[in-house]
Amino acid sequence: MFDPLLLLFFAPLIAAFFLFAMVKVSSKWTKAFAAICSMVPLFILILTPKLLGRSYDVLWFKPLSIHFNLSIDSLTLIFLYLTALITPIAIITGPIKNLSHPNIFYGFILFLQALLIGFFSTKDLALFTIFWEAMLIPLYFIINIWGGKNRQFAAMQFLLYMIAGSALLVFAVIALYFAASSFNFDELAKLSSTMPYAGWYFFIFLVAFAVKTPLFPFHGWLIDTYCEAPKTATILLAALLSKAGIYGVIRILMGIFPLYMQMASPYVVCLAVIGVLYGALAALAEIDMKRLIAYSSFSHVNFIFAALFVWNGYALAGGLFQVVTHSIVIAALFIIVGYLIDWLKTSDMQLTGGLARKIPAVCWLTLFFIMANVSLPGTANFVGELLVLFGVFQMSWWVAAILGLSVIVSATYALRFQRKVFFGQEGVATVSSGIIDVRLTYFAVIAPLVIATLWLGIYPRPLLELIEPVVKQIHLIDLLEH
Amino acid sequence: MNLTLTLQDYLALSPFLIITSFALLILLLESFANHLARRFSIYLACFSIALAFVATAMTYSSTHPLLTPWIRFDALKTTFNALFLGVGFVSCLLGKVFLDKEVHSKAISAGEYYFLLLSSLFGLMLIGASNDFLTLFIGIETLSIPLYILAVYIKRVKVSGEAALKYFLMGGLAAAFLVYGVAFVYGAVGTTNFQSLSTAYGAMKENGGNGAYFFSGLAMIMGALAFKAALVPFHNWAPDVYQGAPTPVVAFMAVGTKLGAMAAFAIVFLIAMPNIDNKVSFCMAALAAITLVYANFVATRQTQLRRFFAYSGMSHAAFMLIAILTGSSEAISALVLYFIVYALATMGAFAVLATLGEDDEELSFEAVRGLFSKSPFLALAFSLCLLTLAGIPPTAGFLAKFYVLKLAYYAGYQWLVALALLTAVLAAFYYLRLMAIMFTVDALPRRQSPKVSRPAFCVAAIAGLALIYVSLFPFLG
Repeated sequence: MFDPLLLLFFAPLIAAFFLFAMVKVSSKWTKAFAAICSMVPLFILILTPKLLGRSYDVLWFKPLSIHFNLSIDSLTLIFLYLTALITPIAIITGPIKNLSHPNIFYGFILFLQALLIGFFSTKDLALFTIFWEAMLIPLYFIINIWGGKNRQFAAMQFLLYMIAGSALLVFAVIALYFAASSFNFDELAKLSSTMPYAGWYFFIFLVAFAVKTPLFPFHGWLIDTYCEAPKTATILLAALLSKAGIYGVIRILMGIFPLYMQMASPYVVCLAVIGVLYGALAALAEIDMKRLIAYSSFSHVNFIFAALFVWNGYALAGGLFQVVTHSIVIAALFIIVGYLIDWLKTSDMQLTGGLARKIPAVCWLTLFFIMANVSLPGTANFVGELLVLFGVFQMSWWVAAILGLSVIVSATYALRFQRKVFFGQEGVATVSSGIIDVRLTYFAVIAPLVIATLWLGIYPRPLLELIEPVVKQIHLIDLLEH
Repeated sequence: MNLTLTLQDYLALSPFLIITSFALLILLLESFANHLARRFSIYLACFSIALAFVATAMTYSSTHPLLTPWIRFDALKTTFNALFLGVGFVSCLLGKVFLDKEVHSKAISAGEYYFLLLSSLFGLMLIGASNDFLTLFIGIETLSIPLYILAVYIKRVKVSGEAALKYFLMGGLAAAFLVYGVAFVYGAVGTTNFQSLSTAYGAMKENGGNGAYFFSGLAMIMGALAFKAALVPFHNWAPDVYQGAPTPVVAFMAVGTKLGAMAAFAIVFLIAMPNIDNKVSFCMAALAAITLVYANFVATRQTQLRRFFAYSGMSHAAFMLIAILTGSSEAISALVLYFIVYALATMGAFAVLATLGEDDEELSFEAVRGLFSKSPFLALAFSLCLLTLAGIPPTAGFLAKFYVLKLAYYAGYQWLVALALLTAVLAAFYYLRLMAIMFTVDALPRRQSPKVSRPAFCVAAIAGLALIYVSLFPFLG
């Protein structure tokens, strides 16, 4: 029988190559095919019994003993669910009209999905590195070919930041291999602290992950990239790619260098807190909707970074919970903003206003996600934020105080966004009367995100059950009392 | 001693004999039946290369006492020569693209072109099989002399003549240095045979020799080979010659000559004398380091495609040199993987360039502007080649570099690993700059849309597919 793990990785990959070859197919059918193929991993995840703990391992590149390894533990599963859920949604929101070479566009997105799945599920450090860097290629192409006006600059800047960030990654990987004679995470986890120069290797990995997520001083690429990328790619970047960095922190830094992680904690938390405030304040001053959401996303991923580095079990659990909720909410917000920009033909908030009367349903949906973004109780984000603040408070009350303060700022910019766009005087840029308020595809895209947000907000236990073993392994605490 | 060659010996030599005889046949055809040569010499050349490839793949070997001191019949020779023949085959196909364009020019004849190419190829194969400094020298000269002529093949281009003259004069000087170096080595240890060099050096050391002559000789040899491989500071000829020569010839130089020179490096410094002395390894490390820094920095400033590939080739030669200087037992397999990946990617890239070059004089970056909107497949194949050269995962280029760097790390050259990785960021920048131009949609209005020639398209497609294959299944012994 064909291993479902292999199918998980190869189904999108093969579909991507199929799409590259589908030259003469209309863009509508191309998109439909891509959307269906991208849902395959989700079905596999849901339908396969006993997926947890499964693994597949084969020696792939003998001279370096690189194994093609896919294995699933609970940490992996969280990120796999995210990938499997967000990618189809991103594809469905993708364009049909005015899209040159749709087969290549959607092919790259499926390729990216396959790479993400591989990245989240491999236990081999060399393969991990390969997937890590390989993700840049489809994104580079997507931004460069299908992006906005300034796309070439943005794509180049994005890629160079990423490559420079992980320039010495290969050095650290080889050094670890030299010490452990293996690329397997479990083997590597055994030696770290005794190794010479381990601090430097920790630093190299940290920089690589910090650039991709991005942590505070490494965010130079973020705004241009998010704004120039096509809608679909922005969703993937904000919801999944930023999480790749966070996954790296948990998997590599916590798994292999726990000691150094604790040593670095004060510095990184400090940077992350600055990032949280900087992002929130920048969003407060922003007049461009897409940039506003981008800064908001930046602020929130820094929040997660702080949660991970505070070195507390509850904060880690909250951080992981926020990984999921942030992905869902930021995807929804970028979808909404993407549609708004399509309809209004501008992203300048000074030109808009009073849309609530024209498109009420969109208005309330936006309000829902805006509220989720500022962690209103009842939404999933509240659970994560509460856990993080609880954990942070145990470690340092003043960090908790600052993070708590940032929530106020984020509520301010979120409500300001809502007011500028939907309420008040009708602006210069407004939707034409032909727009149907909520279309079927629009609903199909948003509905799962609404459901997920509410469900995890009211009944977070299933996700917490997945998070618990991760936390237990690192911090030895019971999250859920049985 | 039995001096007559048996059938087995002839079979072992057959790849060389096939290439030589077909080269001469093409020359005869050119002399006596010009119109036939114009039409058929490409087929003859391709056929001979295919035949020689089969003969190489049969791995006949000889134990004849007249042959074995000069020529090796081992697995490495087979690998090298199969690779060189592949490069030659592709160069022939690309040559057709060029000759079709120049069909009206009286000064250019197909037969001559293929004769020169086959002769060069013969030299390459001799390098791959050499077992003595003498055969190595003959191989290098047989490779170079036809290239001096081919470099000036588009006679209407002004820079061509100057560059070819520079190439010829400096190439002659390098050859002189090579012979002089070999003489020093012979004087010091009394042999030029690769099998006995190591032991002879050991014996010399035991007898109290200080090795001054030996190492001066090696230094000169290294300089001469570095010239052929265009390693900094012996690189000056390369950008000019690449700019002035026709694209298919440049493809042959960029891959064939480069790999030939690096194979010679490997045979001398890795097979014959692995880790002979720290000084030698250090010299190679210094060469590699200087080349990495210089070539990568200068490549970022290039705007002419063939010049650009001259610098990109230099940085790859530096990587190959790193594999060689480690002296590790795995170095050969790392080197062969690097050779294959570099050959595929560079040939694929030049195949795309060959389809573009309607104006051979200034093949600037602008020539690829908007290629994606005109021919997405060609553009994607080109990008794949560039990404492979840049060494970005998951392409095989990454694996090849990773392997080399691992060996370097294990051999204690951590500083070189760090340097190589840092300069790789520059490499990523300049390859991507080229790619970015390709994806610009607002193409400049052209006089005519490029006619994509079939052989070049096939080469690009095959190179692309092969690169994907190697990336997915990099199994190697």
